[in-house]
Amino acid sequence: MAFNILVADDSETMRAVVKKTVEMSGVPIGEFHEAANGKEALAILENNWIDVILSDINMPEMGGMELLRTVSASEDYKRIPLIFITTESSEARMEEAKSLGVAGYIKKPFVPETIKAILYEVLAKAYEHRLASDMPHRDDTNSDMDF
Amino acid sequence: MDTNLRQTICETLSEVFETMYFTFLEPLFETPPPEEIVADDGYYEATITFQGVKSGTLSFYLPKNLARGITVNFLGVDEVDVNEAQVLDTVKETANMAVGSLLGRIDPGGATKLGLPQSRVAADFSTEALRAQPGLFLFNTEQGLLWVVYEGE
Repeated sequence: MAFNILVADDSETMRAVVKKTVEMSGVPIGEFHEAANGKEALAILENNWIDVILSDINMPEMGGMELLRTVSASEDYKRIPLIFITTESSEARMEEAKSLGVAGYIKKPFVPETIKAILYEVLAKAYEHRLASDMPHRDDTNSDMDF
Repeated sequence: MDTNLRQTICETLSEVFETMYFTFLEPLFETPPPEEIVADDGYYEATITFQGVKSGTLSFYLPKNLARGITVNFLGVDEVDVNEAQVLDTVKETANMAVGSLLGRIDPGGATKLGLPQSRVAADFSTEALRAQPGLFLFNTEQGLLWVVYEGE
């Protein structure tokens, strides 16, 4: 069974780069959804089954931190792990994200191996029962940070 | 400008360009004479502000050739497949990544808020105007000179 992935970033090129990186990671992908901000992400969540969210923090309309707050507070969505891919790398911001239940934190600039490593770790934690048969063997990769 | 801040800005920009665009920046400590500056087809500009413990603006001026080059490397596509909207978006994201990363280094407490970046074709680009800026950074790349101006505390 494949994973449905939602990427929220106001940069279209960054969404394309993240999508390509995820595709190359070997994670089985079902649907791939894109949102330009938190509001668009929530609209997608209303109408689609999503397994993991990869989100920027600094976005117009609704930023990633508010998206995380909403997802974490929702009975319907709190099962969905959210990973930040963001330039906001202060310790304080990471602690705030952690307190809100973020599943992983990737700092921009990043190398593709970091996204791959953290995505695998987060999916393994959240969907252990699906991974044994669905996921290819994970390579040894380094992650900058994960929770 | 504080020497440590200058050094941190140089290191941060180099990290962003090398990691995301496979483009190496060579800091220049003197501005080349005007006749040595070639910008055949113009420049793009990206700006981003930040406010808090540290406040200011960083402006980036990229020759179009350099901007197209980093977009090609970023997306991993052929140059013919890159359009101007993607180039402007990449230039904007460059400002976002560079300053976001910079704030992580100079304000670990996270009290400084990052604004939303903007980008445009810099039709009014002038090397003479930039030369007078005290917060000017110049970097040589294989695809032209990158001009960065720091205005702030």
